[in-house]
Amino acid sequence: MSALPARTIGAMEVRAPHPPVPTAPAQGPAGPSVLDAIRQGHAHTAAVHESLRSEQAVIEAREFSLWYGKRRALYAISMIVARGKVTALIGPSGCGKSTLLRSINRLNDLVEGVRIEGSIVLHGVPVYAPGVDVIGLRKRTGMVFQKPNPFPMSIRENVIYALRINGERRRAVLDEACENSLRAVALWDEVKDRLRHSALGMSGGQQQRLCIARAIVAEPEVLLLDEPCSALDPVATLRIEELIRELSQRYTILIVTHNMQQAARVSDYTAFMYLGRLVEYGSTADVYQNPRLRETEQYVTGRFG
Amino acid sequence: MTTAVQSSPRTFGRGDAVLGLAARGSALCILGMLAALALVLLAAALPSIRTFGVGFLLSTDWRPNEIVGAGLDAAGNEVEVVSPPSFGGLAVIYGTVVSSALALVVAVPLSLGAALFLVRVAPRLRLAGVLSFLVEFLAAIPSIAFGIWGLFVLAPFLQHVVEPGLKSLLGDVPGLGWLFTGTLNIAGEVVTRPIPLTGRDMLCGGLILAIMVLPIITAVSRDVLRAVPRMQIEGTLALGATWWQSCAAMLRYGRAGLFGAIMLGLARAAGETMAVTMVIGNNNQIEPSPFAPAQTMSSLLANEFAEASDGLHRAALLEVALILLVMSLAINILARSLIVGGGPRAAAAH
Ligand SMILES: Nc1ncnc2c1ncn2[C@@H]1O[C@H](COP(=O)(O)OP(=O)(O)OP(=O)(O)O)[C@@H](O)[C@H]1O
Ligand SMILES: [Mg+2]
Repeated sequence: MSALPARTIGAMEVRAPHPPVPTAPAQGPAGPSVLDAIRQGHAHTAAVHESLRSEQAVIEAREFSLWYGKRRALYAISMIVARGKVTALIGPSGCGKSTLLRSINRLNDLVEGVRIEGSIVLHGVPVYAPGVDVIGLRKRTGMVFQKPNPFPMSIRENVIYALRINGERRRAVLDEACENSLRAVALWDEVKDRLRHSALGMSGGQQQRLCIARAIVAEPEVLLLDEPCSALDPVATLRIEELIRELSQRYTILIVTHNMQQAARVSDYTAFMYLGRLVEYGSTADVYQNPRLRETEQYVTGRFG
Repeated sequence: MTTAVQSSPRTFGRGDAVLGLAARGSALCILGMLAALALVLLAAALPSIRTFGVGFLLSTDWRPNEIVGAGLDAAGNEVEVVSPPSFGGLAVIYGTVVSSALALVVAVPLSLGAALFLVRVAPRLRLAGVLSFLVEFLAAIPSIAFGIWGLFVLAPFLQHVVEPGLKSLLGDVPGLGWLFTGTLNIAGEVVTRPIPLTGRDMLCGGLILAIMVLPIITAVSRDVLRAVPRMQIEGTLALGATWWQSCAAMLRYGRAGLFGAIMLGLARAAGETMAVTMVIGNNNQIEPSPFAPAQTMSSLLANEFAEASDGLHRAALLEVALILLVMSLAINILARSLIVGGGPRAAAAH
């Protein structure tokens, strides 16, 4: 514990150009915590690190809030997602990570009674502007869900689904896209002899890699991964993590994870959320080793949440 | 404490045993009744089966009365020829198959559309409850009510509006003449003539059946579609599927169950009696035109059973009933096995 105040004080110095966090003035162990203040409903200005300033934004949320009916799930989130980087969203269960992710490709539109405020900009397009082409928007973002959700068709048809619904008929194009995608997720050698078999006969890890292959077949600009490894065993998890590192060379990736080590392993930036607020956001190294807020450190080291 | 723990399983055990026996007993009872029904029908149909054999399934001849006509004997003299009553089930089997198929052709797209609406649109409009209730209510309307409506509303409408309209539109199109000309079998003599449009014909029977099978297909399809995991729908949408494309994916996911729903509808259509009897025209002949009167197996039974005095006539009718029983049973078993066993869950587990 003795190292803690020193480290936080160090972080406070970095924070100087930002407006101070109003509800968390005291950083000593006995002082009121930021999280307590959030629980009591006080406004919180996220501690966003300097390092993000130099990044180019692919996604930018501006004061984005979301309500499920009367229940508010997101509170004025302002953050960017850096181009070509892996950004991890962490935070305790129910803090709104999935909600934020699903707001980007407007999957929350399906939920009855959803209301939003503020905006999200994807590649310069405000995704909630009236008249925006939601289908086109979703085609430009790939998404992978918590549980593998292969469609009840052959492996090949699963992979090329996005092209099929775009009306692509040319066999050569489809075959090539299928192979490229499966190679990208390191699944080609495992399944190349049974492309016509049902995807439901694959193992869970294979299914999840298939879902990633399916998500990237139409060359989206952004990949949204919502706890892609939570239903997988450690070996399959490791493979997916390697895959994420590889894919990060070609895609901008936003990943939700409950696994702190995973976030540390795969991501360049980490955003810590709590009860619908962005609490702290910075490079993964800083957030883990040199966080501004004591609460962030406690969370990433597993001492709460 | 210990005694309670020890004694409760025993009482449960006894209760379980009793319940299990009762359940098994009732199941056996039902099976027994089914077997008894089939046996009784089989025994009663035996004279007809003996007389006509497999030919019963292939013959369209249905003559309860003997025909006395003129003929020539081997020497060329004119003699009186008596043909005995003759029975064949093909015309009514054809009538049942075609009217049911017609019903499905009309009802399936409507039902699937309605089920999709109930699952994907109605909840947003807060209409799901009301509409589901209405669909189930439709299923509870007695068959005779549909029959009366068919007789007094649908048939006249077909007779005066739809069919004359179609006739003036298609009547002269080459290759479609068969729609409006039929053959008439008068005492063994076949005459070709324009079909008198009465509105009480195969088309009307098929449409009435379509309305009657709509609720069951809709209700079962709705349950099948509702069981499609949210992840499947979101998976397609996240890839940029349109609303229709995601609906197509839902239908594909539930295809086994949906096929079962359709089979249930088919079983109902094949067995439906009262309403069809009232509107189908009851003509025991095979006519290719949907505007010609026809007859189904069940409407034949409803029409003739009370008046069948002759033993062979009765036996022939009961043979028709036996065929109908076997057909419905087969369709139902197929349907149930698809809904319960071959559904999405089984597919996912495999
Ligand atoms: N469809 C919904 N309708 C109503 N409330 C919802 C809905 N989905 C999520 N919520 C609520 O919104 C809040 C944020 O949920 P969300 O799923 O985004 O959290 P999360 O951070 O992804 O949690 P987890 O780590 O458990 O996945 C929660 O309080 C949740 O109960
Ligand atoms: Mg979540």
